[in-house]
This record gives sequence, C-alpha cells and structure tokens, in this order.
Amino acid sequence: MTEAFPGGAIEEARAIIARYPAGRERSALMPLLYLAQSIEGYVSREALRAIAALLQITTAEVEAVASFYTMYRLHPTGTHVIGVCTNLACKLRGAVAVLEAAREATGVGSSGHGVSPDGAFTVHEEECLGVCDHAPAVQINVANHDEVTPERMRELVERLRAGEVPTPARGPAFASFREACRALAGLEPAPPTPGGGA
Amino acid sequence: MALAFERRLTRHWGDPEVVGLDGYLARGGYEGLRRAVSMTPEEIVEAVKASGLRGRGGAGFPTGMKWGFVPRDTGKPTYVVVNFDESEPGTCNNRELVEREPHRLLEGTAIAALAIGCTTAFIYVRGEYLWQALVLERAIREAYGGGFLGPRIAGSDRTVDIVVHRGAGAYICGEETALLNSLEGLRGQPRLRPPFPAVEGLYACPTVVNNVETLMNVPDIIVRGPEWFRELGTDKSPGTKMVTISGKVERPGNYEVPLGTPFRTVLEELAGGVLGGRALKAWTPGGSSTPLLTAEHVDIPLDYESLAAAGSMLGTAAIMVMDETDCIVDAAARMVRFYAVESCGKCTPCREGGWWATRVLDRLEAGFGRADDLPVVRDLGRNILFRAFCALADGTASVITSSLRHFADEYEEHVRLGRCPLGVPHLEEVAS
Amino acid sequence: MTDEPVTLTIDGKEITVPAQTLIIRAAEQLGIEIPRFCDHPFLEPAGACRQCYVEIEGQPKLATSCTVRVAPGMVVRTQETSELAREAQVANLEFLLLNHPLDCPVCDRGGECPLQDQALAFGPGESRYREAKRVYEKPIPLSPLVNLDRERCVLCARCTRFCDEISGDRFIELFERGAGERVSIAAGEDFRSPFSGNTIQICPVGALTSETYRFVARPFDLTSADGVCPHCSAGCNLRVDVRRGQVVRHLARDNAEVNDAWTCDKGRFAFRYPDDPARITTPLLRDRGLEPASFGEVLGWVADRCVGSRVAFLTGGRLLDEDYYALSKLARTVVGTNDLDHRRHEGGAVEVWAASRPMSVAYADVERAPAVLVVGLDAEQEVPILHLRLRKAARKGARITVVHPRRTRLHDVAAHVLCRPGEEASLLREAVRGAGPLASVVEELGAAGGAGVVLAGERCSSAGAEAALALARTAGARFGYVVRRANDRGALRAGVHPRLLPGGRAVDDPAGRAALAPLWGDALPSTPGRGRRAILEAAAAGELDVLFLIGIDPLTDLPDGALARRALENVPVKVVQSLELGDLEPFADAFLPAAAPVEKAGHVTTWEGRRQRVEPVRGPVGLSRPDWEILAGLAAAMGGDLGFETLDQLDAELERVLEAGLGTPDAGAVEPFVGPDPRGGEEAPTAADPGSLLLFTYPLLVDEGRLSARADELKAALQDPAFVEVHPDDAARLGLAEGAAALVTTEAGRAEVPVRLNEHLAPGTAFVPFNNPGLVAGTLLAGSFWIPAGLEPATVSRAREASA
Repeated sequence: MTEAFPGGAIEEARAIIARYPAGRERSALMPLLYLAQSIEGYVSREALRAIAALLQITTAEVEAVASFYTMYRLHPTGTHVIGVCTNLACKLRGAVAVLEAAREATGVGSSGHGVSPDGAFTVHEEECLGVCDHAPAVQINVANHDEVTPERMRELVERLRAGEVPTPARGPAFASFREACRALAGLEPAPPTPGGGA
Repeated sequence: MALAFERRLTRHWGDPEVVGLDGYLARGGYEGLRRAVSMTPEEIVEAVKASGLRGRGGAGFPTGMKWGFVPRDTGKPTYVVVNFDESEPGTCNNRELVEREPHRLLEGTAIAALAIGCTTAFIYVRGEYLWQALVLERAIREAYGGGFLGPRIAGSDRTVDIVVHRGAGAYICGEETALLNSLEGLRGQPRLRPPFPAVEGLYACPTVVNNVETLMNVPDIIVRGPEWFRELGTDKSPGTKMVTISGKVERPGNYEVPLGTPFRTVLEELAGGVLGGRALKAWTPGGSSTPLLTAEHVDIPLDYESLAAAGSMLGTAAIMVMDETDCIVDAAARMVRFYAVESCGKCTPCREGGWWATRVLDRLEAGFGRADDLPVVRDLGRNILFRAFCALADGTASVITSSLRHFADEYEEHVRLGRCPLGVPHLEEVAS
Repeated sequence: MTDEPVTLTIDGKEITVPAQTLIIRAAEQLGIEIPRFCDHPFLEPAGACRQCYVEIEGQPKLATSCTVRVAPGMVVRTQETSELAREAQVANLEFLLLNHPLDCPVCDRGGECPLQDQALAFGPGESRYREAKRVYEKPIPLSPLVNLDRERCVLCARCTRFCDEISGDRFIELFERGAGERVSIAAGEDFRSPFSGNTIQICPVGALTSETYRFVARPFDLTSADGVCPHCSAGCNLRVDVRRGQVVRHLARDNAEVNDAWTCDKGRFAFRYPDDPARITTPLLRDRGLEPASFGEVLGWVADRCVGSRVAFLTGGRLLDEDYYALSKLARTVVGTNDLDHRRHEGGAVEVWAASRPMSVAYADVERAPAVLVVGLDAEQEVPILHLRLRKAARKGARITVVHPRRTRLHDVAAHVLCRPGEEASLLREAVRGAGPLASVVEELGAAGGAGVVLAGERCSSAGAEAALALARTAGARFGYVVRRANDRGALRAGVHPRLLPGGRAVDDPAGRAALAPLWGDALPSTPGRGRRAILEAAAAGELDVLFLIGIDPLTDLPDGALARRALENVPVKVVQSLELGDLEPFADAFLPAAAPVEKAGHVTTWEGRRQRVEPVRGPVGLSRPDWEILAGLAAAMGGDLGFETLDQLDAELERVLEAGLGTPDAGAVEPFVGPDPRGGEEAPTAADPGSLLLFTYPLLVDEGRLSARADELKAALQDPAFVEVHPDDAARLGLAEGAAALVTTEAGRAEVPVRLNEHLAPGTAFVPFNNPGLVAGTLLAGSFWIPAGLEPATVSRAREASA
C-alpha cells in the first residue's frame, strides 16, 4: 500500500473516503483511482490492489470499475495527455485534422494507449467534451482549449515541449496530467480569483 | 419572428461578479433558500408542482411530482443527486450555466433537499468538466462560509451538505440509475426499474435525481411564484429552455429561448445562419440521439409536441447543423460510433448491434460498401430500437433510421461510387 | 403491493400465480419455454441478454419476460403466438452469434449448450455479418479448475452475478465496456472461491469450462444417476456422470429445499476417488500374506474370531443410513456389544436430541430467519451450502452472529464474536442471563417470534452445544446441530453410538430396549458401551480381541493419532472394511471391499435430519459390496440373522424403527445423559504457561481426506500446505513471524509448520488445519480437537538443540 500511496497520500486517501457517509466507503473508489493516477500518471496494478485493500473489496472489483471509465488509464501515460474531441460538432469544424496534427506533432502513433517516444505525450481521441459551442474542442491535461486549428495544435505541442504551460480557454492550466488528476481527486484548491465564463 | 422576452437563467450572463457569493447575493441570490427554510416541505413541493416545471434533462418529467414521490416514513435518509453529467453530443448548456452562476445551482439543490428532507446532496459532475467542478467547489466553500450550506442553513435549524462527485468518462452515467451506480463506486451500468430511485435510489434510499437546468429554475419559482414561471413557454411545458447550437453555424453557442421558438429563429437570429452562407442540409434537434431533420423542417417550433409530429424529439435541445458539403454517411458513422463506444456492454442489442452498425457504416464511408449492406443497416435500426435495456441504444437506431429515411440516395451513392461522393475525410480510412 | 395471487393470460392460456412472479416463471408453469440466457431462477433478474422478449398487450415496446412481474389481467404473447416477439428473438440471436466462434465441435458445451440449441431451433441459417470477429486469446485459466474462453462468452453475467449475489467471492467481474466488455479476473490472481465451479454449470455457453472435464466426453457418451454428495452433511443433490464406467463429472441438481442450484467445488471436483488405483476390490486375508480371498472365506475367518470375543466397531460418517442400521443391529443383536462409535466429536445431550428427531431446522428456516446465531462452525469450510444459505438469509436482512475462535468467510455479512474453543458454553450461559457480548443476540432471536435460528456446530464442547440448545429454548428459536460428515446424522439416528439405540433411545433405558424388541429381540446389551476414545484405549491396553474399522482410518481421521497407533499394535485382530487400505495396510488382518457411494442405493441424512434417496450410477466395482450387505453376511457367518436380505426390506424396517410405531421419545424432555465429558465437554484449559497457546484444529474443506484422492486440480486451486495461524500479538510475544517456521509442541507430539498471522483469531489460540499436506494434526492431539501447545521459532529450537 505504501508504494501506491506514498507519504501523505494515504492520509489524503482516508480524507477522500471520509467524504462519503459511514458504511458507504465504496463511493470513494472513483476519486481514489484519480488519486492513484495523480501519483503514477496511470492506475498501476499495485494501485488497484492498494485501493482494494483500503475499501475491503477485491482487486477485480476495482479493476472492473477502473476499466469501465475512459478517464482512468491502466497503462502509463506521457507527461501531458492531449484529448481531441472528434464527435460530430467538432468533426464538422475540422477536428479530424486537429487529431492528426496532434498525433504527428507529438510523434504518438494512432494506437490508443500510445506514448510519444520522448515520454512527453499521450494523445486520445475523445467523445463529446461538452464544448460544442467552441469546436473543435481540445483538452490538455483536462484543461480546455477552444476552436483549435491544426496550426494551433502544433503550436501547443511545441510550447508544451518547451516546458511552457499554455493558458487554457477557461479555468486553470495543469502542468502535467498528474497534476490534473490531483484536482480530479478533489484535492487541489480552486484558484482564488473568479474565472468563470468563456 | 424576433425574440423578445425577459431572460431568466441567463439574465446575469456577462456579469462576472455573479460567479462569486457577494455578487450573487447583491443580485438577489439565496432569496429563494431564505424563503424555503420558512416553508414546509409540502409547501415547496406544491409550489414547484404548480409551476409546471418539467425536467430539462430530456425526459421532461414534472419535477414537483418527482419530489412528491419520495416517501418520508422509511426511516432511511433521503438524497438529492444533481445530474451534471451533461454528455449528449452537441449539448453544453449546463456547463455554461454552472460556469457563470454556480450559486444558483447550489441554491436550487438546497431547496430540493429541504423539499424531500435530505441532509446530504451530491452533485455528479462529468470528469471532463474539471474546471466546472472546481467552480462548484469554490462556490460550495463560499456558501458554507455564508451560512447557506452546512448546519443551520439560512438561519434555520436545517442541515444541508453538498458533496461533489466526479465521473470519469462515461456517457451512460447521464442515465440516472447508472449515475447512482457510479456514485456508489460501481460500474456505470443502469439498474432495473422498479424499484425507482424515488423509492430505492442512492444506497437503496429514497432519492431524487435532477438535472442542472431544472434545479436552476427552482429559486425563481420560490421567489417569484409559479404563476410568474408560467408566463413563458407553453401550457404543458412552461418556462424557457436552454438551447445549444453547434456545427456549421456562424455563432455557435448556448441560448435561452421560450419553448416553442421556431428553429429558424434560433438558426438565423441567434446563431447567425449557416456558416459561410451555405445551404442547410440536416440538423439534430436534441442531441445526436434524436432523429435527424432536414432543411424542410426549418420552421418547426422547438417544443415536445411539434418535434414529435415531425418524427423527432426535443431531447436536450442540442442542435447540430450540417451544411451541403457535409456527408450524412460520415456523420451517421461518427454518431453511431459514439453509441458503440459509450455502450455500457450490459445488453445484447446495444453492445453487439452498435458494434456491427459502426463497422458497416465505417466501411461504407471508406468506400468498401456493398449493395447488400443497406438492408442490413436498415434492419439494424429496426432491431435495436426499443429493444435494449436503456435508451442509449435508441440513439444508434435513431441515427440509422432517420439518416436512411432522408438520405437513402447518399448511402446508395457511396456504394455505387466506392467512395464518399463529398470527399469528406474519414477517420477509419482503412476499414478492417 | 398486494400478495393476492394474480391471474393472467399467456398465449391464450389463463394461469394464476403468486404476486411478484416473473412472466418467464409463469410461462414455465404453463409449459411454455421462453428462450433465455441471462435469466436464472436462483439469481436476481438482470435483463441483460434480451433473448426473452414477449409482447404484452397495451405496451408499445416488447418486454423482457425475465424482468417483468405479472399483473392482474395481463395478456402476454410469447414467441409461440407473437410474430413480433419471435422476430425480435431471432434478431437478438443474430446479435449474439456475431462474435461467437464456430468452434462447437471442439467445445465442451457442445450437445448441452443453450446457445447451440437456440441457434439450431430458430437461428438464421447463415450469418449476414461480414466483418472480422472479436478475437481473444483462447482459454485462459481463471484457476486450476476453471477456464475462460472469452470469445464464446455472451456476457449474460450469470457467473459474475453468482459471485456477487450468492458466494460473495467477487474474484471475477466484467471489465471494460461496450463491445470490449469481458469477464475477467485481476492479473496475477486466482478465482479462489470454493464455489467457483457453479459458474461453469450456469454458463449458458462454453465460455467457462471445467479443467477436469476438458475434452472428456459428449453428453451422449454419458450415463447419469441422481446422487447426493458424499463429502459433507449439506446433502447437495448431484448428477453423477459416468463415461465407460468411470466417473467423469459431478453436476449440481436443482433442489430449492436443499442446495438451490449449487454445490461446492469439493462436491463438484472431488469425484475420482471411486476410480483411484489404490482402491482394493477383492477381500484380503493376512493369513496368506494379505492376498485375495473369497468373501465367504474372509467372512468365515472374521466370524470365527468374533464369536465369544471382545469386539468393537469404529466407523466414520460417510456410510448410508442402511449401512449404519445394519451395523447398529449387528453389534447389538449378533455380537452383543455397545462398543461402537462413529463420532469424532462428542456432543452429549444434544446427540440424543439430534438422534431422536427426523428434522430439526431446514434450510428454508435458515433462509427465512430474521436472526441467526452460529456457534462453533466455520460454515464455508465445513458445510458450504449452509454457508450459502446463511448468505442468502443475510441478503434478505437476517442479522447473523458467529461465535467461533477464527473469523469465518461470513465476515462481510455477519458479526463475529471470537472466543477460545470451549468457551462457548460460558458465553452462551452469560447471554441467557442477559449479559455479555451475545445478550443482544438473545433479544434479536426472541423478537423473531419463533423464526430465529440457533446453529451449533459439532465442534462445540458438549457443554457448549447444550448451552446453545438452552439458549434457543430461552429465546424461542429453532435449534440445529450441525454435524460435518455426509451422514453423521444418519449414524446418530441409527444408533452407531455406545449409549444410543436407533432413534435416540438409551441403551440403559428398559423402555427403549423394549420398544425395539419386536425387531431386535429382547437380549440387547444394556450397559453403555465404550466410545471412540475408550475403544482405542481398551485396544491399546489389550482389552479387545477384534477391532472393526469400517470406512475409517483412525491414524489420520481422529484426534488420537498416537493412541490409535498403540491400539492397532495391541489388538489381535484388525478388520478393515473400506475402499482401500492406505495407512492401515501394515495392520489389517482381513480386508472387506466396500462399494463406493456412487455404487450404492439407499439414503443419507443431511445435518438438518432430511433423509434423501441416492441411486447408484454403476454397480460395485470388482467384488466390492455395499457395507450393509457385508455386515449382513457377517451376521449370517456368525450364525445370526439381521432379518433383511434386500435393501427394500432393510428400508422398510429402518423406516419403522425411525418413524413409525415404536414411539419416538419426547425430545423436549431430553436431559444430559452423561456428566461433563472428560475431554469434549470440559471448559477450555487456561494456558498456565505464558509461552503456551490453546491449539485447535478442524478439517478445512479441501484437505488430504480419502474422498479427495486424485482431486489434483481441486487441491491446486484451494489447498495450501499446512500452516499454523497465530494472532499478531501472540506472535510478537513469542517471536514468531509471518512465513517463518514455528515449532509446535504438545503433550502428544511436535511439528514444524510455517506461521500465518491472523488478526481475526481469538488471542491466546493457535489454529492448524486438521489434515493439510505436511501435517496430520491428529499426531499433535490427545483425544480432543484442542490442546495446549508451546510455540517457538524453529530457528530458536534448532539453536538450542545444537548447543545442547
């Protein structure tokens, strides 16, 4: 357990469990998977076992859930995870070329779980991301970039490669996929300044 | 027809101050909750019933009636669960509603909690809405600080806590029983009904699951009264509806309109017409699961009855517009693929039928279609519709059936030419 | 919701069924079979496969008949009368076959496959599917017993629902989703559930197959008979399949009164013992060097040595009612002795209670009970189907409390009170006085208004079992005495007991003897005989002439390993009647080959007291014979007559003795008939020496018992080498570490075994399995299943010995 949740992470895991009513600890499974992902960049076998032990369920029960949802990665990811929506609203506005640009610029093959050779990128074709009003929609480390063109996609990749953190269309940027997963686990405080709206 | 009405859910849009608690309070926020704490649960339920508010998530079930179904004498806790899993392709108005005025959702949720005697409410946010969940979490902290959540809300002796729970990428979790499973830490597969969530929902306790837009209408109903609410919309469907319009239009976006507003008004007045002045070819009225309509349906009013008469549905009022350069087979293949990817796997017609349809449509679009594929596709639509465990697979069927109904020629041309006649780039260039 | 019966119409036929009945069940009652894959009568409705569409008048969509419950006046049309339903079923079958491989010729399910049957009956003759099929690696082992072929799977989820709803052993789950959904197991883990085989049987295709039945037979190769499982007292109804004379498979038969549709993996997979090469099927005589002889010769030889001699009989718990009755009658009426016993544990007064009752608590009572107290029983390991019934009760809301020294697999559905072995009695007496950790349990049982259940396992001390019975009476609850072996209860009922005649009548009660006189004569021995321990002691002391061992090996089966060896060394004549000689080969003077359970007709009695009929699937192998026949032959050889020559005659007499005419004693008036048993009945000794723990043992489900011979896959799946379990606090105090060897020393012997830490073990105790590879625990015991033991790290003892 210490490997999957090192240091203070085990305390954070307990705090996540405490969000839910007593006797309903299993509800914490999804945020715990995000927590594990924030540490290793994906949900490792050790993490599956550690979560099972924390919640007193079987590893199979944990993996059944982890493999159901697309935002949990059961294979290692690049530092940055780029998601490109190709669903209809985005496709009509040119998303296929954006996806191809992302794959080409990062060097990721077309296979689903691929990581670029430099370990920096994973590219995912996404279903509707709920930003149809600003298609094509892209997420970099789960932060939105709107109306992305292939040129803009290439530029974003270059800036990430240079160590920059491009400013998203709304909300905070995350310097890596792991950081975003901390927020997904509900652990990152929201930034102090209001920033709603597009 | 020019649109002129007093906007409700969007009246503070463009006012960044309303995102924070102080700005929300300065514009009359939490007045509904202040009044609700002095009302009995029955009075709250009655007010919502009288307003005629119907669920905005797609099914259109009367909200007050849903609240009234919750039994009070079971000895179990009751739960309010907010469905913020907005995932229907083409739909994103809940996202913007929360981004711009998160406290309105919290207020509506707290009032719903008071109405059914719930002390812990959950907001289920789709994982991809990471920023929106952070907005909500910040608003929740403010609301606790201001005494609008937690023990003794709004100076009363009532307790309402709100917990944000994030999804992780599964369209099916918008289905309320799948959402409850997901919230319980299970795979998001739908449950058998009965028992209905009102009787055995979250943790087998009485539960109300409401959509974001639905709950955001509630504070005004409490403050201004049911009659005021009924001043807009139709008699059966009072109020306004958030509409998302996307695809080939000049100004894609989320717009609030009274129910019954014609599609042409939304397209031309709000969205600025078809992109580049091209001709309208096809559109979805309510997200990708609602049957496609064409240019001949441009004057249809956007309400439940009119769309049903035209062979489609209002759904989530998410309009995706295709123009004359877009390929229907390509669009259908993409939409059907969505339902195959998002199928939870539980039942046969959805899991296998969706897979089969995707592969045949991809092959057709890639130019490897055969004449005998078309009857198969047609049968697939028929053999999936209303046969699956939940409504997800009906999306597959509706795409297939409606696209064949209006654009059979285009399918046949793909087969005849051995390529896409419109030269639309297709992702599955080489169909296996 | 009303409970009034509901009348509806299916395919034009009217039927009245209980409210809440599913349409598919109502149709079955009319003889209309609606096709289905995911539906299973003992699982919750799922509605997943969608094969069972029916049309319901007034409803716009087709309904799945496995999920919709009947309603008054409902008009249902199945595929028999609805074209729409039939078309939908055909279309659904087309969907199911899209990705299903055409490998029926090499599939173990071929010939008994619901999908194959459906496809042949009305599937489309030709596939319209032109795309590539989904491909998975061909069968992957989920465990040494169960293989999974994911290509064949139709994702009905019967297997995963079984593990979720019934066994609670959630080792397999559905992974992924959509067309990628598949049954799977966590990487590196085994499907280590003692109920895993049930998933094979309920799989409606050949996705889950049995390693033991892989490529073994086709249904038309098989001869089958209705058996009852010989492995424990649960009484699971089995179908025994034989191919060319060899037993090749056990399947569970549905019986809602007993095992529902399930059996445990031991019952399913430990089926090779009747065909074990070690089996001996001819009589043998030591006189000629343990060489074959005829039955007549051997029986004559034995009879000569029994007449006028001091003879005692020891047997086990796995013979049939008829065998036990013949033994009981032979000992009393021909040999003239009460020196006979079948027990491993002595239960005192509760034995009279169990011997005198046809049925105490039934499974259905357990299932319906709002509150259950389980004392001295590890149900999953000892009577697995009772374990499943307890879980079923828990699902229905029962509050279950287990009093046991070691946490059991009911832990997720029951509260456990861990107590030292032998401490049960004082805990239970305390509870009756309204004090202690079980006081609230007495209240719950009382509140159940007669529907509460108390179950006492045979491992309770006699005082503990009596206290449990007393508690049940106080609370107005039903009481069950749970014996372990398949027919322990039948042996008790038949009077294979030093103090009890059939039906629980005491040997020293003139009225009891008189009741039997019409059938047994009036010269029955009237002084209580020797029990198991006393028989062995008498033999060891040279006070016996002949020791009869029928289906028992006292060296490994009893907690008297050392004593049994002395007994065998000191009694002049040892007669072994069994399937094989095993450890007894050096001792046996005569061997009488017994028929195996699958070769015998007769009855077995479950722990409940339910008598179930078994049918042979084949005749006795070689010269072997049913035990009762051998015993009747011996009686004749001794010049006596048991009074029956056929099984029917025996059964008629047995039924008369047990149930009719002879006056069953008033069980309510049962009083303790012995004082505290010197071993089994005493309170647990307190370990005076701080280095000493109270060592206790019982056989785990899968061990080295005789009937598990050659069940290699089962052992690979579920058996561990011997170990000693210690509470972490005791381990810390004694310097013992997980996995390190400990030296266990008792007054009877010593052994070195690896340590396992178990925080759910009563502190101050240590547990060893009774007969796992590496340790015959009987060698550490002195007559009781618990004993004070010293534990220390093996390295320390070795160092001490080296320096000494």
